[in-house]
Amino acid sequence: MSFEELQKSWQAQAPARKISIDADLLLKEVRRNQSQFRTTIFWRDFREVGVAACMIICFLYHGVRHHDWSNFLVVAACAWVGAFMLIDRLAQRKKTPLNQDPLKACIEASHAQVSHQIWLLRNVFWWYLLPIAAAILLPMWWTALHKGPTGTHLSAFVLRTTFFMVCLNWGIYRLNQNAVKKGLEPRRKELETMLAGLQ
Amino acid sequence: MTADHQEQLFRRWLADHAGLLWKVVRAFAALATDQEDLLQEISLQLWNSVPAFRGDARESTWIYRVAFNTAIGWQRSEKRRRLKHEAFLKFHDEPAHEPSGDSDLIAALYAAIRELPKLDASLALMLLDDLSYREMADVLGISENYVGVKLNRVRKQLADSLKGAHHEL
Repeated sequence: MSFEELQKSWQAQAPARKISIDADLLLKEVRRNQSQFRTTIFWRDFREVGVAACMIICFLYHGVRHHDWSNFLVVAACAWVGAFMLIDRLAQRKKTPLNQDPLKACIEASHAQVSHQIWLLRNVFWWYLLPIAAAILLPMWWTALHKGPTGTHLSAFVLRTTFFMVCLNWGIYRLNQNAVKKGLEPRRKELETMLAGLQ
Repeated sequence: MTADHQEQLFRRWLADHAGLLWKVVRAFAALATDQEDLLQEISLQLWNSVPAFRGDARESTWIYRVAFNTAIGWQRSEKRRRLKHEAFLKFHDEPAHEPSGDSDLIAALYAAIRELPKLDASLALMLLDDLSYREMADVLGISENYVGVKLNRVRKQLADSLKGAHHEL
């Protein structure tokens, strides 16, 4: 069989005889799906930025009420993390690939997005974990070191809190690195292979 | 673009290009449940793309782009949890009108396309649908010369896959 004959058979296939689309139902599903997508995005943004905003309000209130300057450090750290996420999200939204773009442009945009996600998660210690941990622990250590007459008194509470924070941050860091290794790196490799096929 | 116009155009695309959509879906997903899921995903992206359609590109080129970009992305996240949706696809039990030899050939061809790398699968579909080099280049975003180079490879890969299924190209 020649290729032209194969093409003819291919083009003669009539899917409509085996399958039909209920356009009304599909449209309903599309709209439902779109609304679910919007809800998911809203709650994701709310979780990431909303939690930071709530923490800012709580620590600000606590700091003003008790004249405790250490609360303002946590406020500053939360503000930094929230602003960083918000600005990053807005900057990345502009670079979101459009499905009507040519395949190559779409794959390039997806690659840039995945690479950025990898960068974010690899550096999560510097922009997320360290500022908040430092804001919580530094005042505690400062107070503990200046508490006793010799200036070297360390309370068990401070040591326990430090140990807890180190374990918690290590766990969060490992979770993020695992997400990079198992989810994002293979995806980036797949996109790179596709891009190589288009170069 | 008004909501009415968007809906009107979307409905027309579904009616006029159902065959194209179905071919893409069948080339990228083998199981019926996956095919329905992918068709829903492509439809969603198509619906989202309608307001950006200015008529500069041919409708078929536009739909190919959306369908391929979605299908390639969908395969990457194939295992994600999906919400149940109502069945908007109706599968008819009536036998196909084409001779059984032809339906075997088409089934073998789809299987061969699914074996190809995703981009080659996209090219194979456009090649079989007899799109011009210019149109293929527009969909992929590469030069026409490179389309030619890649098509030779795709044609050879398809021929090799189908040789085992008693067809010669």
